[in-house]
Amino acid sequence: MSYYLGLVQLIGIHTLLGLSAYVLMLTGQLSLGQAGFFAIGAYSAGILTVIFELPILPALLVGACIAAFFAFLVGFPALRVKGLMLVVATIAFGEFVRLFFFNLSWRVPRDGIEVGPDSTNGFREIRYFVANGWSAWEITTFVWVFVILVMVALWWMDRSRAGAVLRAVGEDELAAQSVGINLTAVKVTAMTAGGFIAGIGGALYAHTATYVDHLTFTVLLATFAISYPILGGLSSVIGTLVAVIFIQGVLVEGLRFLGDWRNIVFGLLIIAAMNLKPSGLFDARTARILKRAASLGRRG
Amino acid sequence: MSKTSISIITLAGVAAATLIAFGQPAFAASERTVKIAGWGAKSGPLRSFGVNSEAVLTAAVKSINDAGGVKLGDGTMVPMEFTYYDSACNADQAISVARKVESQTDALIGIGPTCSGAAAAMYGIFQKTVDDASDTGLQFPILTDTAIRPGLAKKSQWTFRNVPNEITMYDELFSWLRTQYPDAKTIYGGTETDQAHSKLTFAIVIVPLAKKHGFEWVGGGIEGVTGKVRDGYENVLEVSKSSNWLMADTNFSVQARAFKKSGADMMIVSSHPFTTCGMLKEMKRQRINPKVLVGLTSSSSAETLKGCADAAEGMYIPTGFAPITDAAAAVASAAQANGGFADLHSAAAWENAHIIKQVVESMGVMAKPDTLQADRRKVRDGLEALVSVNGLMGEIGRVQDEGESVKPFVFVQAEGGSWEVVHDPR
Repeated sequence: MSYYLGLVQLIGIHTLLGLSAYVLMLTGQLSLGQAGFFAIGAYSAGILTVIFELPILPALLVGACIAAFFAFLVGFPALRVKGLMLVVATIAFGEFVRLFFFNLSWRVPRDGIEVGPDSTNGFREIRYFVANGWSAWEITTFVWVFVILVMVALWWMDRSRAGAVLRAVGEDELAAQSVGINLTAVKVTAMTAGGFIAGIGGALYAHTATYVDHLTFTVLLATFAISYPILGGLSSVIGTLVAVIFIQGVLVEGLRFLGDWRNIVFGLLIIAAMNLKPSGLFDARTARILKRAASLGRRG
Repeated sequence: MSKTSISIITLAGVAAATLIAFGQPAFAASERTVKIAGWGAKSGPLRSFGVNSEAVLTAAVKSINDAGGVKLGDGTMVPMEFTYYDSACNADQAISVARKVESQTDALIGIGPTCSGAAAAMYGIFQKTVDDASDTGLQFPILTDTAIRPGLAKKSQWTFRNVPNEITMYDELFSWLRTQYPDAKTIYGGTETDQAHSKLTFAIVIVPLAKKHGFEWVGGGIEGVTGKVRDGYENVLEVSKSSNWLMADTNFSVQARAFKKSGADMMIVSSHPFTTCGMLKEMKRQRINPKVLVGLTSSSSAETLKGCADAAEGMYIPTGFAPITDAAAAVASAAQANGGFADLHSAAAWENAHIIKQVVESMGVMAKPDTLQADRRKVRDGLEALVSVNGLMGEIGRVQDEGESVKPFVFVQAEGGSWEVVHDPR
């Protein structure tokens, strides 16, 4: 059972990563810096539980706030550019963060061993969950409480004026500006919110994996972050979850039995999905069909 | 065919694949067998590690079964079986496979993963101390064959490794080189800094131990490097000292120029075969011919010879595997027959399969569905109790409290497209 629960935890964490990119994508921006915010959340929360021996909840929230703070700082200069230039700028930020942690060494003695980030050696001993007797069920529940909270918050926001503003900026910046929307404020807010969500994901990741190093936070992870909302569709937060299940659950884990063929089939299925559902696996049409089916089910 | 039909067919295909993968019965009803699980990088740039490991493991299991199988606690002889998984040199995937094998299969033990980074991450999810009820980590024994980064196995009492001890190997190598090249005074070198094994072995082990045996870094040495392992290792990697690169690099002209400018008698290329070859080819192009060339243990493999035999000519490397005994030669042939190569990493998979057989037989493992947890515990306890075992190159000692090994080794040199044993300190 621990295997399935581990997979469910991973899906939850990657959903948070995808949602962090989703918020920004609503404003029409594409960021490859989400892996950087994820890394900041992972290392910060890890340092707080391992070195400062804080409980998981405050560590996680502080880690997310630190990630959000950096997202806020990065938001101002980065969002002065857009499109491919923003992609390049955020890749640079992600690499900066990765290389910072690659060089970070902060070791303190605990119970006869040294703990803390150890540059290339990575950051081991982030064992808060297992060392405190948390079962796999409890860890999974803990992860999913945050996933659900974030999804509900984003769902609610999407249906509020804030969501309309984000989508307005994403649809047509000039038109949005002409009706008095402050583009910089909207984009920086979205970036900060994305950083916060990625920070939560990173903090949870570090504590479920028990180890992080710079190789965890490469541009590949950033690519996954933007792939989830693109593949799932931007019509709803559910799309990102569907895409994470498709990629992590089906393509990565489900196809493991294919051995050497797995990566080829992985690529082919991604291409097939993008061609067959160009607006996302969970696009507006799918949502309508499901809604209709649900209402028919209720009637019949 | 309409788009909707294609969508339905594709989704049905994906659903079927998922059902096949996840719908397999957790425990196949079968006759009693000793099951083991292997995993490592079978995709990505380090794919050869997993391919080689699987090839050697296939040969090892066949040899055990050809000799009658494994004797269980009640005297029954049963075959050994193994399944090999791709964990792609990736921490998440190594963790996922470990969880899958522990909870979804009746494997008694795991062999893997191949990459040190994946191993460092994966070991963390295991119970740290046996019988600690407050620790909910996995309780499943691991005997790693390839991941060589120093000091990993002591993270958990469930994790063991059968990998060479690089500190002893390089200590002996430089001692021997001192006698072979009494005129060599200075050294210079570089490493791939984003690979922990290459970088740490270079900075913590190679440079200090070279100093210990009288080889001084060009330009008057490096501050803090005293000849003792770890001393001053941060300074070794300063840009003003060594000339380094990254694993994804494809151009080494700047680094090679620094090597040339140093004029050192001995040059160190501490990296995996992929960048070792890039660096060596560039050194050859720039006509750099040091008196002595030393490489990283991981480069004493067929990949280096396949990639750059000419450029590697003359390079010395200490290795825990060479086909110099009948058993080692047989394993090398068997691995090739299975589409892989036996080298210092993969050859351990052979030894591991035979160690597992020895432990299963000595601990009275029953290999029944209702004894699975007890059997896994017996295997762990058996591994911990081992003092020494017979390996392909001689006796392998165990460092019980750290879960590590002390393996015999030889020094090889690249000569005419093959690794020739030039010194055998066993």
